[in-house]
Amino acid sequence: MAGQVMRGSPLTIALPKGRLTEDALAFLVKAGYAAPTNGDNGRKLVLDSADGRLRFIMAKPGDVPIFVEYGAADLGIAGLDVVREAERDVYEPLQLPFGYCRLVLCGKAEHADRSLWLERSPRVATKFPRLTEAYFRKRGLAPELIVMSGSVELAPLVGLADLIVDLVQTGTTLRENGLVELRTILDSQAVLIANRASYRLRAAEVRALIDALANVIRGA
Amino acid sequence: MPEQPFSADRPLPEGVRDLLFADAATLRRMAATLRATWSAWGYREIILPTFEYADTLATDVGAKLDAEMYRFFDRHGRTLALRPDMTIPTARVVGTRLYDQPAPLRLSYIGSVFRHEPPRAGRQHEFIQAGVELMGARGATADAESVALAVAALRAVGLPEFRITLGHVGFFRGLLLALAAPDRLAGRLRSAVDRKAEAELAALLQEAPRLAPGVREVALALPRLTGQVAVLAEAEMLCVNASMEVALADLRAVAELLEAYGVTDAVSYDLAEVRDLDYYTGITFEGFAPGLGFNLISGGRYDDLIGHFGPPFPAVGWALTLDRILLARELQGVAPDDPASDVLLSAKGCPACLAWAAEARARGLSVEVDPLELEPEALWQAAQQRGIPRVVLHSNPAALIVRDAAGERRVAAGDWEEVTRWRGK
Repeated sequence: MAGQVMRGSPLTIALPKGRLTEDALAFLVKAGYAAPTNGDNGRKLVLDSADGRLRFIMAKPGDVPIFVEYGAADLGIAGLDVVREAERDVYEPLQLPFGYCRLVLCGKAEHADRSLWLERSPRVATKFPRLTEAYFRKRGLAPELIVMSGSVELAPLVGLADLIVDLVQTGTTLRENGLVELRTILDSQAVLIANRASYRLRAAEVRALIDALANVIRGA
Repeated sequence: MPEQPFSADRPLPEGVRDLLFADAATLRRMAATLRATWSAWGYREIILPTFEYADTLATDVGAKLDAEMYRFFDRHGRTLALRPDMTIPTARVVGTRLYDQPAPLRLSYIGSVFRHEPPRAGRQHEFIQAGVELMGARGATADAESVALAVAALRAVGLPEFRITLGHVGFFRGLLLALAAPDRLAGRLRSAVDRKAEAELAALLQEAPRLAPGVREVALALPRLTGQVAVLAEAEMLCVNASMEVALADLRAVAELLEAYGVTDAVSYDLAEVRDLDYYTGITFEGFAPGLGFNLISGGRYDDLIGHFGPPFPAVGWALTLDRILLARELQGVAPDDPASDVLLSAKGCPACLAWAAEARARGLSVEVDPLELEPEALWQAAQQRGIPRVVLHSNPAALIVRDAAGERRVAAGDWEEVTRWRGK
């Protein structure tokens, strides 16, 4: 069973497949933990480290908090954006110095000076429905959410939505699609998250890993 | 499996479920074990109503629970609510009916509670809570009894591995006092501590107004004040006011008593535990098991609650969620109870057979009479399909034909010694 914990089993850490994978693995290596033995050829989803201390679960970024909340993984590395959107009950002991990006509200460049809070019910396309909804609701607006799973920046171009909420790193994609940033909703970076039970039941190993990572951050 | 021959389009509402056979049997047996455990400690059970007036259940100390209650109207238009926990109704009973009884009161309960929560790990909208409350006593002796009984209860329900972490709201409250943080900042500090977000905590402390020397260091050390009893000694150097000192003294006294109870190996300490800070007034504790990211049991001292319903009355107690224990046991490989019968009996209306069944049942066996009147071979196959280890037929009033995995044999109808060995397999 996924959540089963055997004595002497390696600490399990869920890593996001994609943009953060390389940075996350490099960071763990810097902290003295070995990388997965059989390399990440992108097919195997559960990998053991060469020294047997860690087991890696390669997960879709949005799933990392779920693996951790349910205890299928003791720890996880995920973007703060994903953690806040998932709203899972996990500990967040460390912010890690990579994966910097921003969750921003964007609109078409030609309406850049629009008065956002006077709108009746803006139609917003996003992959982050919870954060988007909360952002508008907090200001008394009821957005019409269009939840998408890819290419959100397309939505305003084809008249699907007035606004989008999406992650940006450099802003190039936005500019190329004639969009401008209107507001920053969240400054994001990678965070280490921990299962609430593992944090206590495997306190020594978890603490050792947190401290090792914290040392790398301090040295960086 | 055959296709269902009729429409099965009868969905269940979100958050409720059926518990069948092995789950139901395990759950009921755990409940029986819990009753036996706490009645051996002098706790007496009360049975509480499933719904009450919403106003009664919506105390201001339980704002989060309030938002999660299922509400509906009675015929006079008054708002009722399904109980979201058992402690509030228990406090109502004590505050309105039992407040002048000689203290202490030791109460226990088992029952379903109802909460409309966003879907999360391990949470149903209806779940079964079992718990105890020790009321009318302050101090470490009562606190330690509650924790020790929590350990005894988790052991009794057959959970091989678990850990109870013990904290005290006074420690963090004292720290907030020392930080003199404005409300908004205090809220954010608490949220950071709750998530063990060490870096975020450090960043927030930069925003705090002029801090007394040493206070920042204490706050930064907080997320690390978790572990074995030694953290209490560590924390001692970090106390900056009376609230923190009192909290720590309370915990140390409880820790000593827990050692006397012999439960130290099941307990650890966490001074950064800040859940339900508004509800609890003293020690707090939670129990965890490997592989489950949510607590199985939670409790603590709540001296202010009963005062909402009557005269002030100190209290300490806990509740565990039986559904979660079921899951935790499964994850640790504990076999569920098997509710299969001991005997499948072919009776076909024969008085001697039915008399034999009655006698066997009186001796503690579960005996099922075959209502389909199957022939011997079909009967044996039916028993095997259903996990019943043996079939019994009467060849004459004095002799039984028994068939089990070992084969077929004759047993004298009066041989109760043999039959009693069949009990529970």
